[in-house]
Amino acid sequence: MELNYKQFFEVMPAYLTILDRDLRIIAANQRFRKDFGEFEGRYCYEINRHRSERCQHCPAERTFQDGLRHGIEEQFKNLSGQEISLIVYTTPIRNEAGEITAVMKMATDITEIKLLQNQLRESRERYRYLFEEVPCYITIQDWDLRIIEANRQVREDFGDVIGRQCYQVYMHRSEECVPCAVKETFHDGQVHQTEEVLTSQNGEQMNVLVSTAPIRSAEGQIRNVIEMSTNITQIRQLQSQLTSLGLVISSISHGIKGLLTSLDGGIYLVNSGLDKNNQDRIKQGWQMVERNVARIKTMVLDLLYYAKDRELALEWFPAESVVEEVGGIIRGKAKDYGIEVYCDIDPIAGDLAGDRKAVRSLLVNLVENALDACRVDKKKSTHQIKLRLRGYPDSIEFEVGDNGIGMDQETREKAFTLFFSSKAGDGTGLGLFISNKIVRAHGGKIQLESELNQGTRVVVRLPRRGPIPKAASSNPS
Amino acid sequence: MAFRKKILIVDDEEDIRTYLSTLLEDLGYETVMAKDGEEALQQVEASVPDLITLDISMPEKSGIKFYREMKGDERWSRIPVIIVTGVSEDFRKFISSRHQVPPPEGYLSKPINPEEILELVRKCTS
Repeated sequence: MELNYKQFFEVMPAYLTILDRDLRIIAANQRFRKDFGEFEGRYCYEINRHRSERCQHCPAERTFQDGLRHGIEEQFKNLSGQEISLIVYTTPIRNEAGEITAVMKMATDITEIKLLQNQLRESRERYRYLFEEVPCYITIQDWDLRIIEANRQVREDFGDVIGRQCYQVYMHRSEECVPCAVKETFHDGQVHQTEEVLTSQNGEQMNVLVSTAPIRSAEGQIRNVIEMSTNITQIRQLQSQLTSLGLVISSISHGIKGLLTSLDGGIYLVNSGLDKNNQDRIKQGWQMVERNVARIKTMVLDLLYYAKDRELALEWFPAESVVEEVGGIIRGKAKDYGIEVYCDIDPIAGDLAGDRKAVRSLLVNLVENALDACRVDKKKSTHQIKLRLRGYPDSIEFEVGDNGIGMDQETREKAFTLFFSSKAGDGTGLGLFISNKIVRAHGGKIQLESELNQGTRVVVRLPRRGPIPKAASSNPS
Repeated sequence: MAFRKKILIVDDEEDIRTYLSTLLEDLGYETVMAKDGEEALQQVEASVPDLITLDISMPEKSGIKFYREMKGDERWSRIPVIIVTGVSEDFRKFISSRHQVPPPEGYLSKPINPEEILELVRKCTS
């Protein structure tokens, strides 16, 4: 039996030594002898650590003191000076009287494991660094769409998001988005892409391209979904300039077709008048030609004006005249839908230094939105649009109110964002974005108040003397 | 004097109304005019035309509304209509808004070709 133990001791695939109370090695197995050489009369710290003094935390010494087993991770240096990582266990050897006479020390080589652990840690750190520093929003979400991890950019722009649902954080909504790319990935395990408008904790809106991918367990089950959102607001802004120009050209081309028809008419009247020697017809035809050439000229200038990215053409004009003009436009349209239009105009509102055409476009846009909001609202029997004008010493205030369908919080927050439309296929997502741009170009402010199913009120305040001092100095009054 | 066919010209542009009216009268037709759908309905009732040329985009009552009301009234539903419009999108909306109403007899895009409109007018009034 004793022989068997000795054989085991010798062939064990670990370093086995037996130490006396002075920590002198009194026995060592084959593997130890091979890697650490002769041990007779030498101390363990001399052989294992190439030291002349005892180690500060010696497990063998503790075992001698308390009679218990102890474990520790250590670095040994073998005969060739190579560092070996080991996990060391010490256990007491007692005599028949139960006294500790020696300690057995078993050291298992974990150098490979340590190497793998280090590689794993480095790899994790690298991925963590990428996760944290990549210039986009990354979250990891559970089945309830709860954010369980978020990178630095998410934390900076959306605050403390851990534990909150993504639709609350990104959209300020109380319900899931439909469709939801994260849910779709949970259901089919596929990568999904979508485009969204997010609202940061400061209320800033941004267009993002969202990609989702599954995170699977070792068994292949989807545990979480990673969502990555890249900010593409600048791309969308650039696109908007092109789209806006496209819309202008399309609208102008419609007008041009009508003008060309009228011009053809004028030419026909002139030619047929000449054939018939009918002076009245010639005169009438020539007036048509002149009138339509002038209209084409204005239209082409308009096109050039838009093509120059809406540089403001400032002039002094009575604010009242624009409101009356817009009121007239909307009344015609509103009548078809049984919507009443009220204009409340301050008769002494006075003049405004601004781009008359741009201000008119802004108001037309706002009243058309009001009209749409009333048109789609089926919950009320009567609808009204109120157009109000007020003059203040330094500013002019326009207000457009309606009792239409109203907006929820999400729609309210994104109303001025490019390509966001609550009108499904009927909206371009450009209207309020351009309106906001016109207000800003004039150095003014636009404010939107809205309640779902109650209605909307948009207040625009423009500085009376325009955005630049040059405009004020040209005031004839 | 031979019996002259009567054509109602509906367009919000005065110059276009004048053009079509002069062109068609030169060819022996009698014309009446309306600047929007509302006026056009009154003219249909007052003068019972043999043909209508109809613009789509007009303030007050659009050509789409007028067409649906007119074609939905059995007194006038047989009067042929030629659509004359500047925007293909208008025509698309027009077609999709017809539902149970029959299609128009002709469609012309602005700027119009005088020969095309005369050919269509002759076909529709013969």
